[in-house]
Amino acid sequence: MTINGNGMTAVNGETLIEVDQLVTHYGEKLVLDDVSLTVRRGEILVILGGSGCGKSTLLKHMIGLLKPTSGSIRYSGVDITAMEEDELSRLQRGMGVAFQSGGLFNSMTVGENVALPLREYGNVDEELIEPIVRLKLSMVGLSAAQHMLPSELSGGMLKRAGLARALALDPPAVFFDEPSAGLDPIMASGLDELILSMRKLLGLTFIIVTHELESIRKVADRAIMLDLGKVVFTGTVAEAEASAVPRVRQFFERRADEFIAQRNV
Amino acid sequence: MTETRIACPDKLNQDTGRSLLDEVRSGTIAQGGVVVLDLSPTESVDSRGGAWLVEIADYVHSQKSEFRVEGQQGLVAEFIDLIQPGLAERPERAQVKMGFFEGVGDEALGFIGELRQARRLLVEAIYWTLLGPFQGRGFRWANWTDEVYEMGVKAIRITFMMNFLLGLIISMLSAAQIEPFGLGIYVADLLVIAFARELAAVMTAVVVSARTGAAIAAELATMQVQEEIDALRSMGLNVSQFLVAPKILALVVCMPCLTALGMIAGILGGSIWGIFVLDITPDVWFHETLQSAHVKDVVQGLLKAVFFAVTIVLVGCHNGFRVRGGSRGVGLMTTRAVVADIFCIIVIDMIFALVFYYLMPAKL
Repeated sequence: MTINGNGMTAVNGETLIEVDQLVTHYGEKLVLDDVSLTVRRGEILVILGGSGCGKSTLLKHMIGLLKPTSGSIRYSGVDITAMEEDELSRLQRGMGVAFQSGGLFNSMTVGENVALPLREYGNVDEELIEPIVRLKLSMVGLSAAQHMLPSELSGGMLKRAGLARALALDPPAVFFDEPSAGLDPIMASGLDELILSMRKLLGLTFIIVTHELESIRKVADRAIMLDLGKVVFTGTVAEAEASAVPRVRQFFERRADEFIAQRNV
Repeated sequence: MTETRIACPDKLNQDTGRSLLDEVRSGTIAQGGVVVLDLSPTESVDSRGGAWLVEIADYVHSQKSEFRVEGQQGLVAEFIDLIQPGLAERPERAQVKMGFFEGVGDEALGFIGELRQARRLLVEAIYWTLLGPFQGRGFRWANWTDEVYEMGVKAIRITFMMNFLLGLIISMLSAAQIEPFGLGIYVADLLVIAFARELAAVMTAVVVSARTGAAIAAELATMQVQEEIDALRSMGLNVSQFLVAPKILALVVCMPCLTALGMIAGILGGSIWGIFVLDITPDVWFHETLQSAHVKDVVQGLLKAVFFAVTIVLVGCHNGFRVRGGSRGVGLMTTRAVVADIFCIIVIDMIFALVFYYLMPAKL
């Protein structure tokens, strides 16, 4: 018995995204240094690390918003760094991205925000758009907010509405930037549970950028830790907790050593 | 209570969901009855199928009947739990219907409220610009110099250009009217009077309201949206002192300067036509120009410029502070500020024209 988002039976465990030796600069500054990772279908991968370590930059590369200096990012074997604009935008329809503060369009209601990708290129029956919108909103617990404007929502609601819009086209891969940052513990854990049940029921793959320990322990199948643009750890969360790598230990033990303060200025 | 039971297919997706809806629609549903979807044969649901369930629930509710799903198992049951709120009755769009008088009253109250806000801003602005600094309560001079550079110095080129071209146009148009009478030389007089009393001040004010007025409104609106204004207040800083006063004083200094420049530019622009097309020698032309230049006309133009300056800043600030919502609100308020600026400029200009018409009429 399988239930999944795009109506296809997903083969869990196969490689969905492969990032290979990614190097990138902002001007002269080296931001990502030889980053390699794989995302498997149906897993929840957490990219973690301290502020300013390149997490969000990596995410932006993976969704094709930024071009790397060198290296490749392959979706089912196809390299997106070498893609033409048109081809890339076709591929981007298969990714749902939920931004840190929602990224909703201010001039539209929440419902219209969710309907936008469906209208633009969903090939969806016009009659089905409204019910899909309501379905997605009720999945994230916002069915009452359909006709509200984003400016009337709280931070947690904005994040959930952003997630509903990211899910609108039933993308196989969902990227989520800082799902629990700035939320109260109840809301944060609710969002974690939502992510877990989405994965279970819709067979989605999640790539989550976060630095919330609680949330990592709860949802992550695997974790990748970045430090100063380099991958310092790849493995399961249990392995991370037992890891001997000093930065990983420090992260999971929440120790503020002096040198962090000095490095992250 | 009549109950209608409908069995679901084993795979609920985009296509089977549609036929399920058709089945529900074609069957007659008794009002006040119950429609039960039997999900026990269903092994998988995808999200399109789920959306059809929402649509079916909606249809059933619209027939004043009750909707229920039964028999779901395993993952299907979990999926139904997840989408349960969508199967409940549709949320009503919050719409407040107002009667005619209610609407008029609402508008009027809104307008009065806005006037009150505007009055408060005006009083605070006057206090922090004219009185505050002399009572030792401080004035942000560093900020003032920045504003003067931004509002004044950077507007020099565009102000000169616009007035120069306008002068050329005025000269061209009026020469066509009076040249046949051999009075071409009087275009010089006309230019001086028009630019000193009227055109330089208005043209410059329009340029400045499009540049500075819009910038002020957008800046303050964005600050409001990003809670910077709240941050200022929470530090115990007065918003008018911190943001409004330096802008007013900066523009009050810049506007007369720009207007004076505008007068010169306009007269120069007009002279080009007079000298090169009407063939009047520069000597004669400029003699006539100086002859008709009166201090009182120039003073009138400059005095207006000061009033325009205060208006542009206050209208910009007022609209900036009133922003609601995010990026959309910022755009709306900026538009509103520029429209209101230009309207106010024309109204003030008309009042000045009336007053001076009776006090000191323009004579050739």
